[in-house]
Amino acid sequence: MSVEEPIGTRATLPTATPGPDTAGPTGATQGRWLTSDVGARVTSFAAGLLLWAVLGAVFDRIPGPVDAAVNLWQEFGRGEVFGNFATTLVRFFAGVAIAAVIGITAGLLVGWSKLWRAALSDIVLVGLSIPAVIWAFLTVMWFGLGWQAPFTATVLAATPFVAVNVSKGVTGISRDLRDMSRAYEVPLRRRIRDLALPAVTGYIVTGVRFGMIIGWNAVLLSEWFGSSSGVGFRARYWYDANRFGGFAAWVVLFIAFIVALDRLVLERLSRRAFAWRDTEVRTDDV
Amino acid sequence: MAVLKVEHLHKTFPGGRGRDPNKVLDDINFQMSGQHFVSLVGPSGCGKSTLLNIVSGIEQASSGTVTVLDDHGKPARMGYVFQDPRLLPWRNVMDNMLYVHDDRSPQRREQLMRYLRMVGLDEHVGYFPSQLSGGMQQRVGIARAFGVEPDLLLMDEPFSHLDAITARSLRDQLQDIWAQTKKTVLFVTHDVMEAVQLSDRIIVLAPGGTLYEDITVDLPRPRKLSDPKVATMQAEILARLERMTQELARSTSA
Repeated sequence: MSVEEPIGTRATLPTATPGPDTAGPTGATQGRWLTSDVGARVTSFAAGLLLWAVLGAVFDRIPGPVDAAVNLWQEFGRGEVFGNFATTLVRFFAGVAIAAVIGITAGLLVGWSKLWRAALSDIVLVGLSIPAVIWAFLTVMWFGLGWQAPFTATVLAATPFVAVNVSKGVTGISRDLRDMSRAYEVPLRRRIRDLALPAVTGYIVTGVRFGMIIGWNAVLLSEWFGSSSGVGFRARYWYDANRFGGFAAWVVLFIAFIVALDRLVLERLSRRAFAWRDTEVRTDDV
Repeated sequence: MAVLKVEHLHKTFPGGRGRDPNKVLDDINFQMSGQHFVSLVGPSGCGKSTLLNIVSGIEQASSGTVTVLDDHGKPARMGYVFQDPRLLPWRNVMDNMLYVHDDRSPQRREQLMRYLRMVGLDEHVGYFPSQLSGGMQQRVGIARAFGVEPDLLLMDEPFSHLDAITARSLRDQLQDIWAQTKKTVLFVTHDVMEAVQLSDRIIVLAPGGTLYEDITVDLPRPRKLSDPKVATMQAEILARLERMTQELARSTSA
């Protein structure tokens, strides 16, 4: 038995320390950085920024990054940013919280019960197929100007994404593991805590992550079409004024927010939820 | 140790959508008890695993009774080693062992460590299943089953998914652990050589789920595959299985 070792425990990464004939430490480090994930992201971001700057310089009706930054600075100066952003965030997070509660409940029911699957799966499918812009139109028609429309649009757009992911997690709980638990007479409470919840947690995080991204679209669109405050309203204000710089400033702001939220919070949560899956290290990977 | 009584056991899986019901076990009767290692042998589809699942409570019998009692006449505690390890991928080795226990006391952990030591994994308690090879995962499954200190240990082709060298090594190790613990074991295999090496008794199931033969293996332990007596017994049982296949073929054609 001693011949077997955990896969990867003896694996050694190829050493990056340069020998006397190589390009030297600086060259090796730079090369490694450029081919890293961070390097690829920074390069891609810089290329996008450059392309935007070129397009802004060539076409009159495309504001460049500098123009957007100047307009954003002016918006800060006018005191428009914090109030409108806070208004949108309240609507957005309240909507996402309600969507998470409804979506997780619906997902658990669809995943666990055949009856609920039959009753709800088509509704979830219809929900998935309706774009955020349609929810924005509908909620503005229903509620008019005010907080109700963006809030409801967020709930309606995000809920199906949460539900479908959670139901997939529940149906994905291994039958073999359930049989093993039954054979060992593991109590229901421990089965839920140690088997069901860890199996579903990753799917809940993924569902809420996608729900947030789609909910963010919905809240902005709803504010655009029917609100007198918020990020979407402010972007619409500059669009109507034919001031593309101001419009671009708000677009940059809400894109920056959703990217930061995803990269700094949601992606990390997702990685943590699936940490057990990423422990696998194989010798052929290195 | 346990007493296992299987009486007039039938199992038929329902058909549906134009398919006939599938009779898997047909009036099975046998009894086992004490420090015995009993193997169920037979061709694929003869109901070996279904029988084990009924004994464990995973499946329900269509009719008949299965009684599993400990030395004191109370319901026996059972351990189950499956074909695949069936470990929780998000729990490390020790937590997988603890999953089937109600208490997590230091004494319990020490007891589980003893079984992990027996299978040579006491230094891997913090590893996740994905960090272990297939053979090591199966050894965790074996340690988990012994760790519940079962009156009856059920094993369903536990080495069938492993390569020949690992399977052979684990078989030898199982012999050693069984010699130390002397549990009552019901072991399913389609490998006659494995059955002869490990068992005191071999129950042969025929296609259609009937009990064909009950053979006593009276060979000294520990048994090595290189032992000519083991090879002779294996050849004899294989010949009987062949005869069984021919008889069944004749009765079917008649």
